[in-house]
Amino acid sequence: MKKITFLIVALIILSAGIYFGYEKVKALNIARCLGCIAMEPKAEKFKNFWVEYPSSYEMNGIPPHPSWLVNESREKVVMLFFWGPACHPCELQWNAMKNAGIVKGSEENGSFTENFSYAKLFSINQPYDEKGNIITLYTSDRSTGTPTTVILFEKNGTVYWYAFSGEANGKGGRPDINELINILEKAKEEKYGGVQP
Amino acid sequence: MVVCNLNCPSCPFAYICIPMIVGAFIALKRYNGRLQKRRIVSQLSFLFITNTAFVFGSTGLIYTYFYCWESPFALMACPIGVLEHAFADRTWYILIYLVGAIGFASVIFGRAACGWACPIGFLQDLTKGRKIKRETDKKMRYLKYAILALIPPACYITERLAYTEICPIGGLTATIPHLIINPYGYTFTKFFLPKMIITAGFFVLIFLMTRGWCRHLCPVGAMMAPFNKISFLQLNYYEEKCIKCFKCAKICPMQIEMPYKNKSTECIRCGKCVDTCPTDALDINFKWQ
Repeated sequence: MKKITFLIVALIILSAGIYFGYEKVKALNIARCLGCIAMEPKAEKFKNFWVEYPSSYEMNGIPPHPSWLVNESREKVVMLFFWGPACHPCELQWNAMKNAGIVKGSEENGSFTENFSYAKLFSINQPYDEKGNIITLYTSDRSTGTPTTVILFEKNGTVYWYAFSGEANGKGGRPDINELINILEKAKEEKYGGVQP
Repeated sequence: MVVCNLNCPSCPFAYICIPMIVGAFIALKRYNGRLQKRRIVSQLSFLFITNTAFVFGSTGLIYTYFYCWESPFALMACPIGVLEHAFADRTWYILIYLVGAIGFASVIFGRAACGWACPIGFLQDLTKGRKIKRETDKKMRYLKYAILALIPPACYITERLAYTEICPIGGLTATIPHLIINPYGYTFTKFFLPKMIITAGFFVLIFLMTRGWCRHLCPVGAMMAPFNKISFLQLNYYEEKCIKCFKCAKICPMQIEMPYKNKSTECIRCGKCVDTCPTDALDINFKWQ
C-alpha cells in the first residue's frame, strides 16, 4: 500500500510537471548551447551583405524572412541578437557591445544607444521567445546555437543581410566589436547613402 | 534506400553506430548469464533510443540517466541540465517536472536505469575496472550526494550552468561528437581544456575502478539512489537457499556487501549476482507490497 501511495504521488507530480514544464524543457532541449560545452561555431568573415544564402550554408536561395522582420527592416537597419539563458558567450558579447557604447540595458530589455538611432535591436531569448524560432533561417547548418547575431536592411524591395553565427576574428562565437560597428555603419551607408535618417 | 555506405568519416551517425558495434562485440563475450544477455539488448537499445533526435526531433522528455542534451542527436533533456536551468534562470516550475520524472521512474525501477539503460553505465561495463578497499568505497559514496547538493547553489549564485561547463559526460557525449562530425567548425572557450582534462580523468577512473563514476561521482545516480529502498523492482534474498559462498559479493560491480545488503541504495539491479548464484538464493522481480 505504501508503495502504491508513492507511485500515485509521483504520478501526480509528474503530471503537474508535464503540464507546466514540458514546453519549456522542450525549448531548452531544442536550443543548442554550444557555449555550455566549451565550444563556439566559426563564421564567415564579412565581405559584403548577402541577399541569398552564401555557399557555406546548407540552404540555397533567398531566406524566407518573416514578414514582421521585413516590415521592420523597411524602417530601420535591424539587428537580431539571439541569446540563451545561462549562455556565457552571449553574456560576453552583450557586455562587450555595452562597453563599446553600442547597446544599453540588459539582454532582456536592451536597445541601441543614441549613436545608433538608425538601427533597431531585437534581443531575443532564443529558447523562451516565439521569435526565437527563426534562428534556424540564419545559421549555416540550421542550428539553434547561441549567440547568433543577424544584421538586416531592406532597400528597393530587397533584403540584405549578414549573420555572425560564430567567430569572425578568432575570439569564437562572437563578432569583433569594431567589425560589428563597421558592419552597422556600412548597413547605414547602403540603406540611406550615409545620411543619418 | 542505402542505410550504410561504409563511409564513416563523412557519416554523422558514425559516432553512435561505431560505439554500438564495438560495445556489442565486447559485451557479447563478457555478458554471461540469462539476465546479462537481456541487459546487453536493453543497453544497446537505450543507446540507440537516446540518440534518435534525427527521427523524432528534440523532445521535452527527461532522461532518467546521464546523457548530455547538447549531444548532436539527443532525444531528451539531461536531468542535471534541467536542474541547473531551474536555478540559473529561476524557472522553478521545471523542477516539478524533474522531480516527477525521476521520482516516477525510480519508484518503479529504483536505480535500474543505471544498469539497464544508461549509456555511461554501459561504457563502464565494457571497461571492467578493479575494486577498491571497502572502507574507502563507503566514504567515497557520499561524494555524489555532495556534488548533487552543490549544483543548485553554484548555479543560483553564478547564474550559469556551473556543472555543465566542467561535466565530463558533456565532454564525452557532446563536445567530442560535435568535433568528430565537424572538426574545423568550432573554436573553444576557456572551459574547453578543463573539460577535456576532466573527461580524461573520467576515463582513468572507469578503467581503474568498476563503475567508478556511478558509485562515487554521478549526481543522477544520487537522485535515484534513495528510491531503491521503496521501489517496486527489488533484488530479493532468500536466506534459506543461501550457502554463503559469497560469489555474489565478489561479482557485484558496485561492491555491495552481498547478499545481506540487497536493499542497498547502491544497487543498480544489474543482476550479475542473480546470474552467478548457484542456488537461486537471489532474484530480481516486482514486488507490489
